Amino acid sequence: MAALIRGLRAGRVLRGLGSVAVQGTLSPQCSNVRRGFHRAALLRLANDSKSDTSVPPPSYHEVDTAGESSSSSAHGESSEDAQPNTSFQDQSGEHGEDYETEEQLQARILTAALEFVPQHGWTVEAIAAGAETLGLSSASTGMFNNGAGDLALHFVAQCNAQLAETLAEQNNQVQLGQAESKKTAEFLRDAVEVRLRMLIPYIDTWPQAMSILLLPHNIPDSLKHLSTMVDDIWYYAGDRSTDVNWYTRRAALTGIYNTTELVMVQDSSPDFEETWAFLDNRIKDVVNMANTAKQVQATGEAVVQGLMGAAITLKNLTGMNQRR
Amino acid sequence: MQRAAKCALRLDISRAFCPSNVRNCRAVNRVNGSVSCRRYSVLPPPRDEEEKAMLDSMLRVDHAGEYGANRIYAGQMAVLGRTQTGPLIQHMWDQEKMHLERFNEILGEHRVRPTLLLPLWNIAGFALGACTALLGKEGAMACTVAVEESISEHYNSQIRTLMEADPERYTELLQLIKEFRDDEIEHHDTGLEHDAESVPGYLLLKTAIQAGCKAAIYISQRI
Repeated sequence: MAALIRGLRAGRVLRGLGSVAVQGTLSPQCSNVRRGFHRAALLRLANDSKSDTSVPPPSYHEVDTAGESSSSSAHGESSEDAQPNTSFQDQSGEHGEDYETEEQLQARILTAALEFVPQHGWTVEAIAAGAETLGLSSASTGMFNNGAGDLALHFVAQCNAQLAETLAEQNNQVQLGQAESKKTAEFLRDAVEVRLRMLIPYIDTWPQAMSILLLPHNIPDSLKHLSTMVDDIWYYAGDRSTDVNWYTRRAALTGIYNTTELVMVQDSSPDFEETWAFLDNRIKDVVNMANTAKQVQATGEAVVQGLMGAAITLKNLTGMNQRR
Repeated sequence: MQRAAKCALRLDISRAFCPSNVRNCRAVNRVNGSVSCRRYSVLPPPRDEEEKAMLDSMLRVDHAGEYGANRIYAGQMAVLGRTQTGPLIQHMWDQEKMHLERFNEILGEHRVRPTLLLPLWNIAGFALGACTALLGKEGAMACTVAVEESISEHYNSQIRTLMEADPERYTELLQLIKEFRDDEIEHHDTGLEHDAESVPGYLLLKTAIQAGCKAAIYISQRI
């Protein structure tokens, strides 16, 4: 493997040929073998382009360096944007210092692809365009078995992580006494608004993403993301319940979030005012329901006490209530 | 000493690095995100999803068990509260309340989902306690013996699992479970002392209750 790579380095022509050949075969439905080949070709290309620009070459490669740097600048602009170094595995299987996993690479490609979503929609073309900005071949979409689903799920996960970070930061502020703690209804409202505002740049294509997330094979993952997000919001709102309230609260918030999201995608008012008004009303509904539930419980307890009293009276009347 | 230092360090780290830790892997994020821990946390920060799932299911079923035991004693008190065995049952009930409170804290702190079937265990526990108490003091004691035997067996198997996995890592949790198991065994012995075995159909009753407990444990671990 190492010898092959060194051979590639010496052969500039071979590398040029490789990039053309790989670009020519753009098809997400690759077979496993071809996918593996693409993956290997990509990593080699990625490694070459990165190690050229970031790792200073040893002295005996000086002659090659001049040739490499000129062709690598012609090859692509990508590697400059603060990416982690990648290095290849040599034959003993040891990794170089800043080894990037495949997941990290996929994450980087998908993040770059988000830029092209307004243009291409939530599709494999957007992923291909994203890969190209990183200096990779557009055939790297072969890495994503789920195509557009991967892109949508990645975006959702990214938004949820951002939300969790914001909420944790706010919580920290409150703990340090630098900010006032909000009431639950207000907190929920703000958290949902923050999360939904992350959709604004992609709001035109969001219905497409929603339908992708509702495809049967994506439902488990999208449900997991949704439940994690709702759990995070309630946790930071201060919910520490360990009874059935745990479930009812999360179900209520899930309902609020989903309906508000639906309102948002067809809202055309300035800065989505109607959506936030809708959100306010839904939160008020839930608060009302919670108060009603408390009242019902109090009433229920009173009724039970009444029944117990009746039972004791009955026992007294029938003489069963004697001390043994 | 070293462990205390490690615990204190962990506490400081979780407080100071709370926001930045959120960026790390989800499982760690969910535990280290809790700034509300005021003392030693009983669980170590989970190192991966698998461990979190295992600890979650263990705590979920323990919480459900204590909740059920709480309701059983409540049922028994409702019937026998004003008899001579009232104070004895009340004493055991108070200990169970303490266990339940401890588990409530742990679940809240570590963001563990409680079992969905809590309302069912609520009704079933109260009904079991009340029905066995209607058989008299011996019936109530027999129910106590059966349930406490099931629970202590369950705690023992959890202790075995944790010891096999990594006793060092789960020291605090092991200590907690051992303490609770000792309390349950004490209840079991108390039940035996107070003529549990003299109830008619003791063996049948005991077997039926223990089968129910096993089913409840199995379900609560999953749902």
